[in-house]
Amino acid sequence: MAGLAASFGSGAMSNSMDDIAGQAQAFFVIGSNTTEQHPVFGTMLRRAVRFRGAKLIVADPRRIDLVDFATLHLQQKPGTDIVLLNGLMHIILQNGWEDERFIAERCEGFEEFKETVMRYTPQMVSETTSVPVEKLHQAAEIMGTHKPMAVMWAMGITQHISGVPNVLNLANLQMLLGNMGIPGGGVNPLRGQNNVQGACDLGGLPNVYPGYQKVTVAEHNRKFEAAWGAPLSDKIGATVTEIIPDILEGKTHALYILGEDPLMSDPDTAHIRKCMEAVDFLVLQELFPSETSHYADVMLPGASFAEKTGTFTNTERRIQMVHKAVDPPGEALPDWKIITRLAKRMLHGRTLSPDAPYAGWEYSSTADVMIETAALTPLYAGVTHERLERGERLQWPVKALDHPGTPILHVGQFSRGKGIFHPIDHIPPAEEPDEDYPFVMSTGRVIYHWHGGQMTRRAQGLLEVYSEALIEINPDDAARMGITTNGSAQRVRVSSRRGSIEAQAWVTDRVPPGMVYANFHFPDASANELTQAALDPVAKIPEYKVTAVHVEPA
Amino acid sequence: MTVNITINGQKIQAQPEQTILEAAREHGINIPTLCYHKDLSPTGNCRICMVDVKGARFLQAACATQVWEGMEIETHGEKSIVSRKMTLEMMLANHPVDCLTCEANGDCELQDLAYEYRVEVPEWGTKGTHYPVDSDPNPFIFVDFNKCILCRRCVQACAEIQVRDVWGVAQRGFDETIVAGADTTMLEARCESCGQCVAYCPTGALTSKISRGLGRAPQVTKVTTTCTYCGVGCQLDLNVKDGKVIGVTSNPDAPVNGMALCVKGRYGWDFIHHPDRLTKPLVRQYLLSDQPKPKGKLGEWVEVDWDTALDITARKLSHARDTFGPDSVGILTSAKCLNEENYLMNKFARQVVGTNNIDHCARL
Amino acid sequence: MTNKRIIHQPIQPEIQELAAEYGNDSESILSILTRLQELHGSLSPEIITDAARALSVPAHQAYGMATFYSMLFLEPRKQIVHVCDGPVCWTKNAAATHKAIEAIANDDWTVERASCLGLCDSAPAVLVNNEQAGPVLPEDAAKLLEGWRGTPNGYTTPRKGEVRAMMANAGKVDPKSIDSALEHGAYDGLKKALGMTPEAVVAVVDASGLQGRGGAGFPVGRKWKFVAQARNTPKYVICNADESEPLIFKDRVLIETNPHQILAGMAIAGYACGASEAFIYIRGEYAAQARLLEGAIEQAEEKGWLGDNIQGSGFSFHVHVHRGAGAYICGEETALIESLEGKRGEPRLRPPYPPTAGYRGLPTLVNNVESFAAAANIVRNGADWWRSLSDYETPGTKLYILLGPVENPGLFEAPFGLTLRQIIDEFGGGMLPGSEFRCALTGGAAGTIVDETLLDVPIDYASGSRYGISLGAGAFMVCDQTTSPVALLQVLLHFFAAESCGKCTPCRVGTWRSKEILTRMVNGQGQPGDVEELKALADHMQSASFCGLGQSAGVPMNSAIQHFAQAFEKAANG
Repeated sequence: MAGLAASFGSGAMSNSMDDIAGQAQAFFVIGSNTTEQHPVFGTMLRRAVRFRGAKLIVADPRRIDLVDFATLHLQQKPGTDIVLLNGLMHIILQNGWEDERFIAERCEGFEEFKETVMRYTPQMVSETTSVPVEKLHQAAEIMGTHKPMAVMWAMGITQHISGVPNVLNLANLQMLLGNMGIPGGGVNPLRGQNNVQGACDLGGLPNVYPGYQKVTVAEHNRKFEAAWGAPLSDKIGATVTEIIPDILEGKTHALYILGEDPLMSDPDTAHIRKCMEAVDFLVLQELFPSETSHYADVMLPGASFAEKTGTFTNTERRIQMVHKAVDPPGEALPDWKIITRLAKRMLHGRTLSPDAPYAGWEYSSTADVMIETAALTPLYAGVTHERLERGERLQWPVKALDHPGTPILHVGQFSRGKGIFHPIDHIPPAEEPDEDYPFVMSTGRVIYHWHGGQMTRRAQGLLEVYSEALIEINPDDAARMGITTNGSAQRVRVSSRRGSIEAQAWVTDRVPPGMVYANFHFPDASANELTQAALDPVAKIPEYKVTAVHVEPA
Repeated sequence: MTVNITINGQKIQAQPEQTILEAAREHGINIPTLCYHKDLSPTGNCRICMVDVKGARFLQAACATQVWEGMEIETHGEKSIVSRKMTLEMMLANHPVDCLTCEANGDCELQDLAYEYRVEVPEWGTKGTHYPVDSDPNPFIFVDFNKCILCRRCVQACAEIQVRDVWGVAQRGFDETIVAGADTTMLEARCESCGQCVAYCPTGALTSKISRGLGRAPQVTKVTTTCTYCGVGCQLDLNVKDGKVIGVTSNPDAPVNGMALCVKGRYGWDFIHHPDRLTKPLVRQYLLSDQPKPKGKLGEWVEVDWDTALDITARKLSHARDTFGPDSVGILTSAKCLNEENYLMNKFARQVVGTNNIDHCARL
Repeated sequence: MTNKRIIHQPIQPEIQELAAEYGNDSESILSILTRLQELHGSLSPEIITDAARALSVPAHQAYGMATFYSMLFLEPRKQIVHVCDGPVCWTKNAAATHKAIEAIANDDWTVERASCLGLCDSAPAVLVNNEQAGPVLPEDAAKLLEGWRGTPNGYTTPRKGEVRAMMANAGKVDPKSIDSALEHGAYDGLKKALGMTPEAVVAVVDASGLQGRGGAGFPVGRKWKFVAQARNTPKYVICNADESEPLIFKDRVLIETNPHQILAGMAIAGYACGASEAFIYIRGEYAAQARLLEGAIEQAEEKGWLGDNIQGSGFSFHVHVHRGAGAYICGEETALIESLEGKRGEPRLRPPYPPTAGYRGLPTLVNNVESFAAAANIVRNGADWWRSLSDYETPGTKLYILLGPVENPGLFEAPFGLTLRQIIDEFGGGMLPGSEFRCALTGGAAGTIVDETLLDVPIDYASGSRYGISLGAGAFMVCDQTTSPVALLQVLLHFFAAESCGKCTPCRVGTWRSKEILTRMVNGQGQPGDVEELKALADHMQSASFCGLGQSAGVPMNSAIQHFAQAFEKAANG
């Protein structure tokens, strides 16, 4: 969420699902397969379209299910989002649909941005993106004449080497239209995992302490040193996409992994395998043995969400209670207890500053942890389990115990003061189709499964409905290669420069000709065998959405 | 502006757009309903909520009749009671009498009303012998239209909540039935298996297939929690019996999602008790015999107690930290874990290990 | 692998093209299903699903319609004969006709029952594919399958005592020729209206005291005013020609004798209410009449009496004929509108009423065929003329239908306030020799079953609730000593059970249960308590049903039980 932070000073979803679904006159969904990845929010959008007549523009190379409800589908070529957005903003400016007052009062950097955008003529944009000029005009008109419009995106925008510029350009669009700080508007990255927002909020990132307090800012550093009673590093740490490859560089020697399966979820599986083989020590804290556990030295049995009490923070910054319903199986323990015990062991014999209020690891419950979290995290300052148990509905920032929370960000003013327009130019994908690898492969998930599939492949019904990896391929391409869904040649081999998988073909117009779509739910045909570790230079997110591949009947 | 009405002699100020039912419920007056649900648009199908409105020729459906100035309503007058009993008899005559083994026992609005109105099951009728039991192969949803009272809440839930239009009404008159698509299977009719229809079904016609036989409403403790799958943050009730999660049901007060859930949230819970779960700490054999880490295959797993596992882990991590520096330890926290746990992992990395090399799968 | 099921196949090109012909308009689903059935002999779930997808409607909606309308079917058929089992055909032993046709029909033919076909003056009546035929006696079966269709009635000559306004030109006008109609001043009323303000036109109709002819008698002028004053636009005019109630065929006769009179009435209504788009919703069984109307509309457009800028007035009015597909309930105006919108013909919640929110949620005037025919004459000749036609408190004339063992059954036009005795004796020439009056079904199937005690009550829209003898749509079926009131009621409940839409519990189960009891009683298997249960069912349906169908099913039940208590008790006790 580095992009949004650069534009506005805060990198989370600016609005709430409720005000978006209830009040937006138009939706622009780009790079989000909302009805499959955020199904309940997807149905909220469907309701708004059907019962409230809200306009819906879907920009996606695939004909995803949401397209059935769309006023307009812009089927851009993968990796051309910047061009598409510049083209749309070009037409908006041409027609005077921009919000001049909002731009003048609340933003800066407009002129330079405008110069860049005006170079992207509809004709040129259409050639690069393969979206017809006519549709560009229709989309721009809907955007220009239906306010507020809410923009939603997910990994389809960020999982590119141009991930951050993509986001910056969406921020540009919403500033241009004056759709910030109002119900039914905003920039709304839909977060994937149930608590990815919370993990980001509470220091699970290499550059920030909880509440996005930078490790490089001396003041923040001092604050946490004083609280925890230990000297802390002021050097930005490594990201997941660096930590693991750094094993082969001799930089990473030990890994402590909580509830994650890099063999399934990280790009270029073959390379990850090599790294894992080389690590000195790997401890895995998990529910199930995973693909990664082949390389682990210690496995610690953790607890599922049903076995512990605490909080999750959802995509709209809403902090909600999780309640223990059953005991963990066998000797498994809630993860917070495991971490605590391990920390105590490692601190044994070390002297921490006796004045530090939060140096110790004595917690009787996660409620205690939240008290400490709140004390050190201004965004969560007013969050307690007690308030949540009382039924209070809290979205951060919750500035104090009597603060009601913040359903919409950037009302009246951006977190950083003025919003910045960033001129953004096209950045082609790291790997483009060529003679040897003529197809573009995009990856993602399907509604019935979750990420590496550790949980959903163990849910009987889900496995029954979607029991193996499917490669989506366009009927035209399939026909050319003699691939049918029901015939004998129904399996395909998909290869990239890094690896090869075999799976069942799903011949469908969900994907355009020249594109295939694969998921990473099933170990025997995981798309990440093929993907590359080309990263966005700022956010260090891999380019999962564009991989050049070769497809043949298996 | 308000409207003055009288319900059962009680003077009430109602909102002009309100129905009799809404006004009554707001003032704690109970009018029974079956086809009505506050999340769905009123249809007036079942005719259970018929009330006596002074001056009206016939009884009026409270769920679908708007209030007007001076309206006088009797919700439990003799005519209404007789009418409700008769409607219930009509339903029960064509409904199987198998509450003893019915999945919905204790969570059935028809059963509750039959009890409240002391209705006897008539001797006539089909007793629900029209349709095959378990008539759809959907892996999550158990369909038994013999128990259907044709309230159509499933049709509406699918159209108005899920906006998927799987369920519809076919045939007419006494032969009327609920169908998926053009009388196909639910999945062929593009069902997403969200189970909204199950959540809104007032009887045992639509129930959870994967919870079947595991426990019924009165035996179950409901624990409200937040879903573990995507970032929407739906709240739901875990149904617990004998220390096991046996199902998930909607929690109408859920802030984000109301009654709605998706297929994973409602039906993706059985991993919790899957036999593959790790139940004991495991370490590789070489760690116990103090040998160097083998190249290639790491050797057998050995079950150990927590102290052993944590001692080894602490030793190994400390060793890396002390030998190669704090940044030689990488910490991957989890977007699936609690806020509190993420805070602790962050504290662990920074305070205990002394590194900022902490990240999680947000990028993946 | 189950997920294969969610893979969607492309829509069959033939269906895609057909849908395109209708502009992929979701409201055309009924027409498209009908066309596809003609092409394939029947509908299948695959065809239905593809048709739905081509029009972007849910598959269940198309399937729901295919199984709702009796003229659509999923089992393959080549040729089909529908034999009417309405009450009149029942008294004329249509069952024997049914058996006779079945006996000689080869495998190409399917013989099925049908609810009243609206051919009661040709009973026993049948529909051969789409062709009306009757009377068909058992001995006519062979002729029938070879193309013989019987002789229709013309009603060209008024009978003694008739006062003809709407029927004035029956026999004089060639229904297939607009020139002939124009010679008789078919569009004079419209011409006159176009010279007036819309408000003035509404005022004339209002002043005439014309009451709606569908059966409820709601003042027509008031309805027009509601639509004219409604704020939303566009507005629509709908002519309800779904005449499907047993005993009733007056609208068919009006169409057959003078279709332009109806079109003129609709155009006047459109001008008065501010609508320029109109539909005639005609029951699917009236295929010949629908063609007649389509021809008349085409000719009227050619002559500038319909279409754009009528006679240079700036007023445009387009009329579309929409065929139903077999459903009595579609005569209920909100069910009709649902059907017109491409859905199952189920009644809507009211309010809102059609004048404020009808077709497509917009202001809609729905009137009966006879009401439009009357309005055309009223605007042409003035409100005073209409009132001068009769001294009775209800102004104007009415079409009556008289059926049963009388000398001169059929249709006639006369003022309101006739007694049943007058209808039988003065207009019907009395009972047939050997026939003695036992009971009469008045109004229609949803009317009252009366005995001789009510022979002298003047009948109008109020007499039903006031005296227990209803006028309804103006039909009277007289029965003699050979007809048991219990059996007659069984036939009626058989009809209501077959036509109940199923939406609400009291009607869905009540009609079925009542029919079940009555069938037992007719078969000599009555049980003590049957009569009490029938009464309870009648009351329940009347007071708790969703729409007029269920509410009125109780009317013949209660009246029959009241007047023929002994017969019912006897049947109940075996």
